[in-house]
Amino acid sequence: MTLETTGLSKAFGGVTALDGASVSFHQGEVNALIGPNGSGKTTYFNCVTGMIKPDGGTVSYQGRDLTGKAPHRIARAGIGRTFQLCRTFPRMTALENVLSAVPPTGLIGGLRSARGRAEIERAMGWLTRLGIEHLAGSEARDLSWGQQKLLELAGVLMAEPETVLLDEPAGGVNPALLDRIGVLIRELNAEGRTFVIVEHNMDLVMSISDHIVVFDRGRPIAEGPPSQIRTDERVLGAYLGV
Amino acid sequence: MPSGALLFQSVLLGILLGGLYALLASGLTLYFGIMRVVMIAHSAFLILAAYLGWWLHERAGLDPLLAMLGTVPLFFGAGVLLQRVLLTRLRPATLTMMSVLLTFAIALLIEGLLGYAFTGTQRRVQLGYGSASLEVFGARVAVVKLIAFGLAVVALGTLYVLMKRTRFGWALRATIQHRDAARLLGIDTDRVAGYGFGIGLATAAIGGTALSLDTTIYPSLHWHWIGPLMAIIVVGGLGSVPGAAIAAMVLGMAQSLLQIPMGTTWAQTVFYVALFATLAIRPQGFFGGRLAQRF
Amino acid sequence: MPSGSKVLKLAAVALLAVAVLAFPSIAPNPYILSAGVLVVYYAVLATSWNFVGGFTGYISLGHGALAGLGAYSTGILVAKAGLPPFLALAAAGAFVGLLAVPIGLAALRVRGASFVIVSISLVLILLLVFQSWSSVTGGSRGLVVPRPFQLTRPEHHRIFYFLFAGLLALAVLAWWLIDRSRFGLGLKSIREDEDKAEALGTATYAYKLIVFVVSAVFTALAGGLYALWFGDLDPVFQFSILTGSYLVLMALLGGVRQLFGPVVGALIVGIALEFFKVEYGDTPLHLVATGLLLALVVLFMPDGVLPAIADLIKRFGRSDRTSIREVSAAELREQRLQNAGGTK
Repeated sequence: MTLETTGLSKAFGGVTALDGASVSFHQGEVNALIGPNGSGKTTYFNCVTGMIKPDGGTVSYQGRDLTGKAPHRIARAGIGRTFQLCRTFPRMTALENVLSAVPPTGLIGGLRSARGRAEIERAMGWLTRLGIEHLAGSEARDLSWGQQKLLELAGVLMAEPETVLLDEPAGGVNPALLDRIGVLIRELNAEGRTFVIVEHNMDLVMSISDHIVVFDRGRPIAEGPPSQIRTDERVLGAYLGV
Repeated sequence: MPSGALLFQSVLLGILLGGLYALLASGLTLYFGIMRVVMIAHSAFLILAAYLGWWLHERAGLDPLLAMLGTVPLFFGAGVLLQRVLLTRLRPATLTMMSVLLTFAIALLIEGLLGYAFTGTQRRVQLGYGSASLEVFGARVAVVKLIAFGLAVVALGTLYVLMKRTRFGWALRATIQHRDAARLLGIDTDRVAGYGFGIGLATAAIGGTALSLDTTIYPSLHWHWIGPLMAIIVVGGLGSVPGAAIAAMVLGMAQSLLQIPMGTTWAQTVFYVALFATLAIRPQGFFGGRLAQRF
Repeated sequence: MPSGSKVLKLAAVALLAVAVLAFPSIAPNPYILSAGVLVVYYAVLATSWNFVGGFTGYISLGHGALAGLGAYSTGILVAKAGLPPFLALAAAGAFVGLLAVPIGLAALRVRGASFVIVSISLVLILLLVFQSWSSVTGGSRGLVVPRPFQLTRPEHHRIFYFLFAGLLALAVLAWWLIDRSRFGLGLKSIREDEDKAEALGTATYAYKLIVFVVSAVFTALAGGLYALWFGDLDPVFQFSILTGSYLVLMALLGGVRQLFGPVVGALIVGIALEFFKVEYGDTPLHLVATGLLLALVVLFMPDGVLPAIADLIKRFGRSDRTSIREVSAAELREQRLQNAGGTK
């Protein structure tokens, strides 16, 4: 009853990005997805979240088949994601960025004011929790890189996903913020959210993950707890290009 | 039921027309591949080139084919300038939309200036060989149509060799496929993109020359070309040159054949029907078009 | 405490409404009055266009065709089917709205480039059809639509001026409602980053389709009203690519993010168009002027004049606001106060 893929494959032109990836992530844990550059991690995320249609294989979540579903359906099924190069809505304020993560349902819901009190409270709550509430009225394009990453995360969390996919949360982030992000992920996990994290920063991966899946050439080659992955020869081989 | 000879003639004319469409669509495809720009002014430049050919013939008695020696380099330069000076000024986030407006504005400018300079009167080049025709298995084909087709084939062939066999072509293809990666490989993608636009506009110069040989031209004629051309690049799959060429041939042929039962006006609708059908059934286009899914 | 900017805005809206309503009494002659009708007509069209262009950022060059379709539907229903004029108008709005569904389904499935292509194609194909299908549309000879009222010419203009003004009010109100709604926020997130919006759970395809249909209905109603006012339809003018480009120019010039941006743009461009026609007659130069202006706006003022003016005022009038952070904090406080003090 978790996020699971079987035989997921995708090729771009002649290049195989995913080669029958069968992975099962652990519910309620912090999962990490690592592997050398070009091993298909981001393509995997894109297939799981419906941004790309896989050529073959299935995606299922909590027993529901999500293969080839539209991204917004997958998001509403409870899977939120961030993007590799953090993406926010540049010409909206930080508050609006977070508010836009609550899609309305039905006609009446759609025509309700976007600035309902309860939602603003909740959005401000997330901004406060991520320490950027003082920027609520600033447009996202005026924020620093690190602030934008936090803002993106706030938006994703606003939608209350049970599972959060993070694509390189540490990318381009200063050490102090890196520590905060690490702590935050553990806290959010303790509250019951499942995480799947693509990350190159091994210190972060080893310190916060419960379960690690290693990708090479579009498929998993090893998985296990950090202690086991650290010493796995196949992983070493993949990274060193043996 | 039309006679066999008529049918054969239509097929032949369809091929000849398809060749010209293919050449022009390849230019549109280049722009789209390089910068995700739908270049509305492409066909306005086409008409401009035809007018230049007509004008030089009228004034200096120059054969339009010779005029091409001037218009092709001129248009190449204009294409480079268009990309480097104007399009790069637009914000990347809204580039696709704003470039449509900008090139649309250029099309209006060209149409207006042509109308101002040459009035709205219909013009036609009077050539010595203008009315000559050949008989091919009972079908009569005007020599000028054959010349136009020949031009298109030679130009497309040159483009193919340029793209596949030269260092520049390699750089251009790399830029189209993955701009950032191309930059990492040391390709000056900005310059390559500029030259790509130059080549695209050069196809309009050649096409315009071919057009001036056997068509009556007037300033607003470009709207009759841009519609079919845009339909062709969508049906072929945005960004795919071979796709555009195949779609151009198929649709050119369909148009030519449908003229028999439907007449010229209604036959034009085939492009729009194909456009809507493609978007409804297979929005990424029927022949390749990796980019199209997302645009 | 109602904020200063809000009072200012309300005052501006009131002033605009008064100016619009007072115009027919001030207009010195029927010609000026008819030019006023035309400007309000453009204002409705530009505002209707802005439902798609402003919220989603999708540029349509084909709204002229939707207006033409509304005009012809109304005209045909009145002239050939004998329907009462305003029933025909409503039916035309509904018909074009319905027709917008399949068009939108095809055009909006992927990203903007296909939408632009479809929008231009729409104009070209409808021009072809309406010119050729002369048994129904009157072809190039045109279609004469009987007038709904037996009135003198100035009275006729005056009535239609108010009808167009009413439709404008309706369109502006609808835009304002969507702008502040959650649906509107979703649409704007599409404009900002469509992939991201989808990843956050926004049903982008459905959103785009709904707002396109709303836009089409308003556009068709304006076109239909035009048919009843003008009384004579010609495919070359109804399905002209130029109409679409005027609308884009108006909305862009005024500012697509502003409620009254398209209205302001219509005022500027509409008056300029009339002036041009009087001064220079029907020359190809109006193409040159339109093209040049459009290019300049796209290159140097893509946000329009209203934001540009607002920037100027901000720069000269409010030196006390020094940093972005202070502004945001102040705005936020205001926001919270408003919400706390608001109803419920």
